[in-house]
Amino acid sequence: MMPQQVTDFGSQFTGPARVKLLAVDDDPHNLVALQAILEPLDQELMLAENGTDALRLCLEHDFAAILLDVRMPVMDGFETAEMIRSRKRSHRTPILFLTAYRSDEQLFRGYDLGAVDFLFKPIVPEILQSKVKVFVELRRSEERLQRQTEDLKRTERRFRDVLEAAPDAMVITSEDGRIELANSRVDMLFQYSRETLIGQNIRTLIPEWERLTAEPIQDSSAQMEIRQTGVRRDGTLFPAGITRSPFHASEAILVTTSIRDITSQVDAEARIQQTNAELERRVAERTAALSTSNEALRQFAWAASHDLQEPIRTVRAYAQWLSEAVNGRLAERERGMLAIIEDHASRLNQLLGALRQYIHVSESGQQEWAPVDCNAVVAASVATLQTMVQETGASVDWSSLPIVPSIEILLLQVFQNLISNAIKYRSSERVPMVKITSAATKAGWTFSVIDNGIGIDAKYSEYIFGVFRRLHTVEHSGTGIGLSICKAAVERLGGRIWVESNPGHGSVFNFTLPRDPHREGRTQ
Amino acid sequence: MTTNHKGDRPVRILLAEDNSADVWLIEEALRRQSLAFQLDHHLTAAEAIEAVKKCGFHGSPIPDLVLLDYNLPGGQGLEILTAAAANPNLTGVPKAILSSFLRPNELEDVITMGASCFIPKPASLAEFLGDVGTKVVYLLNANGALQGNSAKTT
Repeated sequence: MMPQQVTDFGSQFTGPARVKLLAVDDDPHNLVALQAILEPLDQELMLAENGTDALRLCLEHDFAAILLDVRMPVMDGFETAEMIRSRKRSHRTPILFLTAYRSDEQLFRGYDLGAVDFLFKPIVPEILQSKVKVFVELRRSEERLQRQTEDLKRTERRFRDVLEAAPDAMVITSEDGRIELANSRVDMLFQYSRETLIGQNIRTLIPEWERLTAEPIQDSSAQMEIRQTGVRRDGTLFPAGITRSPFHASEAILVTTSIRDITSQVDAEARIQQTNAELERRVAERTAALSTSNEALRQFAWAASHDLQEPIRTVRAYAQWLSEAVNGRLAERERGMLAIIEDHASRLNQLLGALRQYIHVSESGQQEWAPVDCNAVVAASVATLQTMVQETGASVDWSSLPIVPSIEILLLQVFQNLISNAIKYRSSERVPMVKITSAATKAGWTFSVIDNGIGIDAKYSEYIFGVFRRLHTVEHSGTGIGLSICKAAVERLGGRIWVESNPGHGSVFNFTLPRDPHREGRTQ
Repeated sequence: MTTNHKGDRPVRILLAEDNSADVWLIEEALRRQSLAFQLDHHLTAAEAIEAVKKCGFHGSPIPDLVLLDYNLPGGQGLEILTAAAANPNLTGVPKAILSSFLRPNELEDVITMGASCFIPKPASLAEFLGDVGTKVVYLLNANGALQGNSAKTT
């Protein structure tokens, strides 16, 4: 007869896992009765009608308890119990004997065979229920314990796996550095075998290792890689990147120290530094070469503007002398020729003077920077142009100009040239009016010199700032260097200059001055 | 002809000037001051240095004025001045530097080396003749070299 699994109470419910029970009795009626009694416990009850079936079930299942009828044909309960006990799987399964006889002999034999209890027929359902319940609970807590143990083992295994898989050498120590655990990379890196390291202090590996001082979270040295020196077993040293992370284990604080061999990083840094130094050296060389050629150019310009002056002065003086000496003996046309020589020599002389002034302005970077009141500078500029202002009836207006960090002499040059240009290039139809305004900007100020003169075609708005550039005849204009001087001066002061114009109606010359001229990087 | 107080001789001027155009102008400027003068003219710095070293030795005359162009070939105006300062016979003889332009540090140098005066070469003829002439006469007067000379006094 096949053992039958008669009940599977409430398998559709999820609750605490049900445990398995086995009832063994040769009388099916008794089995049905036991089934009925145990049903309220809601466990999985298996039934067997003889010892052989019971033994087979014991091979396949782990039972929380076995209810075993003593009197059975072929193999009685005691024989069955003996067999069950002899099997490894069931060797500790609690057995409750069911018997109709209260004989001491039976009891001794039963307990000898490992019975945990006897129940006497007729069975009192409550007693059976409560006894079985104890074994069910026992089994459950056993299972729980087993699960927890397995979980713990799994967690630890995972932790060790993670530790092993870590890309760096990892050493877990107590707070004061005693090594509790290390991964295989530690062996590779330090050439020790791990077993010999456990229990030693981590300072064997990292002599500079320091315990974390403050509360781990506030200790900024935790979690941050620091550079120390690693010592291999053979005493050789290597640069090590050390990161310490504390964690609270059940009783103490443990510290995980990860150690990285940063030799290649240190080498790379050294190479970068070397490259940078090389780069800086080349830049310095190039700069030196450039300033040498700048200096050569500067000297050339200086020499040209001065040495050219000598022959021109002589030409001019001799033209004058000759015209004085031969005066009255020359025809008018011949006197005109001499006058032309003299005029042009005089003009060349004037140009050389302007060129010297330009060189002077564009080189005057060494002058003192000081707060300069632009109102005073404009007033001084207008004063030097007094004759021109009076002759033309020009008006020059300004108000509330700022005080700026600047070089006064250069600023004076700028205003003088711009105001003088504004009057010089006046319209024949209008009285010249010049207005000077300023506006504060984020970086400094923008100044505007506004006139109502003849204006400039937009296509010349860059051209006019070049040296010796003129748009008008010699009679109408100056040396052609005034705006170049303005540009050089403004750039020396860290600003820029540009023109906006409405030809026929007037021009606006704008220039900026920085609030912090030394940061703006002055143009050379 | 004009004479000076030391035996009716023209004033003696030691001139170092490479530009003969300027030599003419200087002579013209002195003539316009009605000054009787004798130019001991040297074209190069080397010649001028030799000349100032010899002044007052072995019958070489002592000039009444040393007139030096600063921008000589080789740029040795200062060396002539140094040589002149080293010759005790030239102590008390006015030494003037001629130049169309001097940098501030150069001006300082020539004054340190004993120049009594810097005479710029002005750009126009009238200024040149006027300035150079009056300054030379002024220097000679200040040194008492013109007593008896009919040069205009300033």
